[in-house]
Amino acid sequence: MRVRDLSISYGAEPVLEGASLEVGAGQFVSLVGPSGSGKSSLLRAVIGLQKPLAGTVDTEVAPNEIGILFQDDALLPWRTARDNVALGLGFHGMERQAALVEADAWLARLGLAGFEHRFPRHLSGGQRKRVALAQVLAMRPKLLLMDEPFASLDAIVRARIIQDVVALVEKERINVLLVTHDLEEALGLSDVVYLLSQGPRARVTQSYQVPIPRPRDIVQARLHPAFAPLYEKLWSDLSREVSREAAEAA
Amino acid sequence: MTLNPSYAWVRQFAALAVLLIVWEAAGYAGMLNPLYMPTPSAIGRALADLFGSGSIWTHLEATFGAALGGLVLGIVVGVILGVLAALIPVIAELLEPVMTLLNAIPRVILAPLFVIWLGIGLASKVALSFILVAVLIFFTVFTGIRQVDRRLVERIITLGGNRWALVRHVYLPAVTAWVLGSLKVAIGFAFTGACVGEFVAASRGLGYLLSFAQSTYNSALMMALVFLIMVVVLLIFAISGRLEKWLLRWN
Repeated sequence: MRVRDLSISYGAEPVLEGASLEVGAGQFVSLVGPSGSGKSSLLRAVIGLQKPLAGTVDTEVAPNEIGILFQDDALLPWRTARDNVALGLGFHGMERQAALVEADAWLARLGLAGFEHRFPRHLSGGQRKRVALAQVLAMRPKLLLMDEPFASLDAIVRARIIQDVVALVEKERINVLLVTHDLEEALGLSDVVYLLSQGPRARVTQSYQVPIPRPRDIVQARLHPAFAPLYEKLWSDLSREVSREAAEAA
Repeated sequence: MTLNPSYAWVRQFAALAVLLIVWEAAGYAGMLNPLYMPTPSAIGRALADLFGSGSIWTHLEATFGAALGGLVLGIVVGVILGVLAALIPVIAELLEPVMTLLNAIPRVILAPLFVIWLGIGLASKVALSFILVAVLIFFTVFTGIRQVDRRLVERIITLGGNRWALVRHVYLPAVTAWVLGSLKVAIGFAFTGACVGEFVAASRGLGYLLSFAQSTYNSALMMALVFLIMVVVLLIFAISGRLEKWLLRWN
């Protein structure tokens, strides 16, 4: 997937201006940047929820092969876990019984066997996140977009879900574009990290290759000799972006 | 002194009993004019007469028919118009002023008009019930849909759902929840419409009986009827409460 010179504005407010990035085959890519820099807007443009002002998005896959996971789970509160997962399958013509069987299988893969008939309200935050993941992965996406999906979870639940996600996307060879403000998460998961500058008129200013081998264990990844220097570099670049904005505002 | 909330009903019941006893006693002592303020036992006798002679059933049937007919029609039409107005701007433009106007006036004033248009039979009562309920439901649905969680809408779209999928999976369930939320008010409105319609002009129904009792200065019958209507509405509340609990079991 390739994003070239993307510009987005809300009314007269320019959010992104000339942002470019690339997700290669089989790659896990993260986009980090100061809050309010337009990271989410970029994702929304890729999936077509946001019309760009200028620039192109070439996803190289069909629209129904792109999945997106939002920060909140956005599950239908009036549908059970399995019905929520089966939803997208039904939209693409799968017969209901088959869709439910498929949904149960995905819930089981994400460790939610036995919770198929629960309504979202009766699931924990981590479980809801897993249902949302099952919902998206059941569509067999070739490109998965994630907008800070793990931000609301507590540390242990989060680490376990992330490990499961990494294992699944490595196994299914799904390309991923993750938006996050967590640098450790970005480096631990990704092959490439892009840094978005401070908005307004944010653009991608840096990219970092992460030479940690796959399959990855997210705890082990942090102990890799390449991790600490990259983290430091990313941190100082991001700090510079934020202080540049503070200086401009002054 | 602390009140144990689980015995609230005992205290309420006791208070009611005391009230009835004092009321009855005051009547026996000649402190109440039976023409204006009949005793509870006289009201009870009037009620027993109604059921004893069997004459009440035709009236109950008429009022129930009108109220339920108006309720169902009002909900169906209110939901359809509300959904259409919320999704199609031009319909909202045309409907909203009319509905706002209908909402602003006390709609029971339309009762005489309905009698002229539709006669003194069932139709004019259903119409009055209907107009009371439909306007209420229209606004419930119309404002409700515009407050639908955007994230759910985007979720359906990004999973590949079309407009119909949005209606079916997001708007209709949300609408169901709001309609159920105002169902109690709607039931009250439906019976108001039926009874007022019968009061204005009818040959059957609880409202007609009320107007008959009024014209004959039969206050015991009047109070018996008021009591009966209360019981009927509470009964329907109980049924709708069950329905609500089942339909909103996800909540």
